[in-house]
Amino acid sequence: MNIIIVGEGKVGYTLAEHLSRENHDVTIIDTNDAALRRASELLDVMGVKGNGASIATLREAGVEAADILIAVTGMDEVNMVCCLTAKRLGAKYTIARVRNVEYAKDMAALKGELGIDLVINPENATALEISQLLRFPTAANLETFYRGRVEMISFRVRQDDFLVGQPLSEQSKKFQGLPLLFCAAEREDGEVIIPDGSFVPKVGDRLYLIGQPGGLGSFFRLLGRYTQKSRTVMIVGGGRIAHYLTVMLEKLGMKVKIIEQDMERCRQLSEALPKAAIICGDGTDHELLEEENVTAYDAFVALTDRDEDNLIISLYALQQGISKVIAKSNRQNYTGIARAAGLDSVVSPKLITAGQILQVVRGMQNSKGSVMNALYKIADGNAEAMEFLVNETTRHQGVPLRELHLKKGILIAVLIHQDRIIIPDGSSVITSGDTVILVSRNHRTLDINDIYEDSRIELGGVQ
Amino acid sequence: MNFKLVFRITGKTLLVEAGAMLLPLAVGFLYGEDPAPFLYTLPLLVLVGAIFSVLKSDDHFFPREGFFAVALTWLLVAAFGALPFYFSGYFETYIDCFFEAVSGFTTTGASILTAVEPLPKGILFWRSFMHWLGGMGVLVLTIALLPNLGGRTLQLMKAESPGPIVSKLVPKASQSSKILYSIYCGMTVIEIIVLHLVGMPWFDSIVNSFAIAGTGGFSIRNTSIAAYGSPAIEIACTIFMLLFSINFALYFLVLCGKVKQALRSDELRFFLIVVVGSTALIAIDIWPMYSGADAIRHAAFQVSSIISTTGFASTNFDLWPEFSRFLLILLMFIGACAGSTGGAIKCSRLLLLLRSIRREVRQVIHPREVNVVKLDGQVVDEGNLRSVHIFIGAYMLIMLLAVLLVSLDDFSMVTNFSAVASCIGNVGPGLEGVGPMSSYAAYSGFSKLVLSMCMIIGRLELLPVMVLFSANAWKRS
Repeated sequence: MNIIIVGEGKVGYTLAEHLSRENHDVTIIDTNDAALRRASELLDVMGVKGNGASIATLREAGVEAADILIAVTGMDEVNMVCCLTAKRLGAKYTIARVRNVEYAKDMAALKGELGIDLVINPENATALEISQLLRFPTAANLETFYRGRVEMISFRVRQDDFLVGQPLSEQSKKFQGLPLLFCAAEREDGEVIIPDGSFVPKVGDRLYLIGQPGGLGSFFRLLGRYTQKSRTVMIVGGGRIAHYLTVMLEKLGMKVKIIEQDMERCRQLSEALPKAAIICGDGTDHELLEEENVTAYDAFVALTDRDEDNLIISLYALQQGISKVIAKSNRQNYTGIARAAGLDSVVSPKLITAGQILQVVRGMQNSKGSVMNALYKIADGNAEAMEFLVNETTRHQGVPLRELHLKKGILIAVLIHQDRIIIPDGSSVITSGDTVILVSRNHRTLDINDIYEDSRIELGGVQ
Repeated sequence: MNFKLVFRITGKTLLVEAGAMLLPLAVGFLYGEDPAPFLYTLPLLVLVGAIFSVLKSDDHFFPREGFFAVALTWLLVAAFGALPFYFSGYFETYIDCFFEAVSGFTTTGASILTAVEPLPKGILFWRSFMHWLGGMGVLVLTIALLPNLGGRTLQLMKAESPGPIVSKLVPKASQSSKILYSIYCGMTVIEIIVLHLVGMPWFDSIVNSFAIAGTGGFSIRNTSIAAYGSPAIEIACTIFMLLFSINFALYFLVLCGKVKQALRSDELRFFLIVVVGSTALIAIDIWPMYSGADAIRHAAFQVSSIISTTGFASTNFDLWPEFSRFLLILLMFIGACAGSTGGAIKCSRLLLLLRSIRREVRQVIHPREVNVVKLDGQVVDEGNLRSVHIFIGAYMLIMLLAVLLVSLDDFSMVTNFSAVASCIGNVGPGLEGVGPMSSYAAYSGFSKLVLSMCMIIGRLELLPVMVLFSANAWKRS
């Protein structure tokens, strides 16, 4: 598909990287020469210099033939005007990033007027992800499917876990009856495995477990690791994510304290969030953290602008014995380092946004086939978990799974048949109207039909 | 340096070359000639290509890998392309064959053969087909055919495509190369038909079309295009030589319906002014030698032949007055438009240099004036300007050094100077000893190697070859 990305920042670059790798024709518009040169040197994309909200530039980038325009410049207003102009010029689908908290409320009403088909708000999405983690602190990561009734969580295998050293098939007795499934594993060296019965968990592996929230809770009780949801949260860095997050956490009944350096920003936060405690000071200063009694908190979230600061103060908080520590980091190469040091929960607004948009793009590419309801990039983006709605176009309906030949690296993790959540076995069948949750290691799944070995649908071939 | 990746790219290109060699083999069969020269070469080529291309490597691709791969590929492609000549027995030494092959792939068209007519048709076809392959670039062809060379193929296109600023036509590099090659193929086919219609036999029209499309200039007649003695053929060739020296991106614009934008190109206007101006000056200068319209026709043919860096001759221009001869030498330096199949410095570089000079003069008069250099209404980045200046400086220095080395053979200064200018500009013929009706055969083996290097340096626009010979590039760190 023809995709135009306006704004070559962190998110724009990540999107361009993922989309060009999925074989789309990507054109990037930016005013900055150096950024464009970097993108066109490192990726197979074309750069157009200019203001993405101007008609001439959009025309030069071929907006008339664009299937999707994604406006992710630093300014919300530019993004909106961009979508408005592009829509008038003939772009089929427009996506705008709108981050401002004040606009966020108005967008629902204004979307149609402005010609924006989808508004994405990375800060809000990141805050949502963090709030889910704080509700279920045992998980290093948590994704939800089927309107929250199915969850996928990841956790790190520790030395004393009973899982270690035995194949999964022999352990099934221990958690028999619990409706859950190990759907992916990431080794410490970064290798991603879709486990079967013979998979032997090792210390340091990151396992992805999928199932109903209740079942997952019981599993962690068995493992002796269950922790209650956090009640008190300390946030360092009072940016937009902190703002969204605090609103969400307060709705869940948690007490929030925000540490922010800038006095002016503190005042704004204090005005907008009357219930939260706003502290003005340097969150990277451990004297201040001690003064604010950091050890008394259930959870610690580092959300400053600098990835490095976030990781370091998170490690400090871990060392202080806080049970749940979450750090924001957009740099993927830091995630591995952080994990080696014991910090499991690292959220990346960049990856979250990229995942959201990729889901839309693939959905559009496959408008005739089965409907994709959710897409999450897991294991540092090396695998994907997807939710599909089965319809008439899906092949091999009514065939027991054991007789199906699936491609390598694909697992049917959960089937939802007539509102019943089933962990499938060999005799399960897929029927129209079901919801299927898949985990895939290869990045070419657009449709359920793509998981079958006999599938000839190539990426980009179907429109 | 990721040597494995570099060799893998080279290997794949060699395989593409092997595929291309099947065509002259078929031509040889058609004329019932001995297929031995190609049958000996093909297994060697496939073997080396296959060994290189199965190398496992990660796709870490940086500019230096791109430049390195391009330079190495061109050297090897020419080295293997020379083998059919060697096995054919019409050439004396392998150096002669290498010179001929380099001259073919770089679209120079300088030959060491004094008589080309006795050569087998298969060999003649291969000689001209090399022009056609080298014109758009062998790696660009490889990218178009085998898009999975690794993610960052723009580095390769950049290193191989002529011109100061290389950009893609469409987002995907492989798609871009396909479009370029489609335009190229389409124009070549039209040319073959037109040349046949104005009176060339089919074989001649195909082979000459390859030579003109690649702006090469190998002729299959001893006296080049003059041998046909037909004004119609000369006029058709003149038009096509000019067409192939225009930036192919402009044709893409025309195909997209943006004719106005294409006509507004500064470089195109500059190119046309130079062509029309030089034609007029030369026509006046040679007026006494020819009768009326002939003077204009010969002037136009020779100007297009030299500025497009093709190097065909419709008459022995070495006999022309001094003014015309030197004007032709100057055109050898200017060359065609960026993004065409032509060589030399390129109109856009020269235009940028002239505009920089104008800016520098203004700067002296108004020291505080802020001035930007523009091309097609767009501001040219200072970095790009700097590389244009350095390019032109380095071009001259390398040329002078090569003239010094070639002078060891003790030919006249005009011969040596025009030979080197012609080789580094990928033109073909020079003046006096290497004039349009003579050949490079008289030079020593050493000089032929120097001139071969000049051709590759000129075709790849200096940097890739300089990277290949830089000690730093060979270090792993």
